[in-house]
Amino acid sequence: MDSRQAKEILMRSRPETTDAADAEFVEALEQARRDPELGRWFAQHRVFQNTIRDRLRQLPVPPGLKERILAGSSPVEITVWWRRPAFAALAATAAIVSLAAVVFFRPQPTEDRSFAAFRNRMVRSAQRGYAMDMATTNLSEIRAFLGAHKGHADYVLPARLERLPGDGCAVLRWHDRKISMVCFDLGGHDDLYLFVTDRSDFPGAPSTREPQFTRIEKLTAASWSAGGKAYVLAGPGDEQFLRGYLAPP
Amino acid sequence: MAHNDNDSHRTAGQEFELLVSRYYSTLYQFALSLARNEDEACDLTQQTFYAWARKGHQLRNRAKAKTWLFTTLYHEFLEKKRRQTRFPHYELSAVDQELPNVSPATVNQLDSNTVLQSMAQLEEIFQAPLALFYLEDHSYKEIADILGVPLGTVKSRISRGIAQLEQILTRGNLAANTPKTEPHG
Repeated sequence: MDSRQAKEILMRSRPETTDAADAEFVEALEQARRDPELGRWFAQHRVFQNTIRDRLRQLPVPPGLKERILAGSSPVEITVWWRRPAFAALAATAAIVSLAAVVFFRPQPTEDRSFAAFRNRMVRSAQRGYAMDMATTNLSEIRAFLGAHKGHADYVLPARLERLPGDGCAVLRWHDRKISMVCFDLGGHDDLYLFVTDRSDFPGAPSTREPQFTRIEKLTAASWSAGGKAYVLAGPGDEQFLRGYLAPP
Repeated sequence: MAHNDNDSHRTAGQEFELLVSRYYSTLYQFALSLARNEDEACDLTQQTFYAWARKGHQLRNRAKAKTWLFTTLYHEFLEKKRRQTRFPHYELSAVDQELPNVSPATVNQLDSNTVLQSMAQLEEIFQAPLALFYLEDHSYKEIADILGVPLGTVKSRISRGIAQLEQILTRGNLAANTPKTEPHG
């Protein structure tokens, strides 16, 4: 490393932070010890850096702002319902009844595992609270995360979705099938939710790229298939609104 | 100082109050450095916490709360500016090696307002990275996550931004110290 390279690294260093442990910073600092001119410049630059940092942190914050924030927002309380005592008692009773039912009646599995059931379940979950495994605006990071966690990562996004910032993602499971969920930030407080899965896993999945629309509670969902994948895009607004994100560029 | 925002024993209300206490000042200062308007900075800060109250529970990794808050504020700011296109990724040349230091006298005279005004004169692509760099000691990776740009771009913008800030402060100081000449005649 020469003094020119060292200066560029030292220019952005913050000596009292974890930057100091960074390997390239340590090397640049070593160069500053060898080069007296660079060393003098760096000593003065540290004073500059600390001053700028201190002055920015001294910017006055309006009195009462904290109280206004606390008064203006109440966080959503997610109650873990299966831990409620009342539910626990009910669950114990239900378990006994269910066991008895299983023993005496041995019912055949009748659960709906169609594409429509999958789509409805996903879109309803999006409205009722879910958790993201990763929160980031970067769509490349989302794809990489899904790939690394064995989710569907080889999805193809319509051009307008590609231009939206992400909100995060999760790998979900439904009846032993993996589903990738990608959330897009529409700005304000709205999101678009994209669910991706293998088309072959779901009977009744759309067979073409032509989207099919349906309303599920407060969201509109568009479903289509392409390249062996089935997609469900859910969001606020009507069919026309969603079409805007699916249209070719 | 690093905080641990990841405590699953707190209720959502307690967690919210804790996050407000920890970050409202820095978020406001970040907003002020972007918007340069106190009212707008207050609005942005409040909107950010409103968004947390509404959507924060979706974040499974609570340790990312700080990054989430700064990212959200930055997006709120961009939305306010009605900027639909992303910032262009400029390829920036290396930092000008001939830059002089800002003189110790100038550094000593700096106050918060002067620094804020000088930041406002920076090219726009440098403003957010520098504000995040100085406030709250965000790591380069966190800054890249918040702004949605590659790590190398963040480092480059910070170096270039600091160089430009030094130029602005040096120029401002020269202008302030240069006696105005009276027109002849």
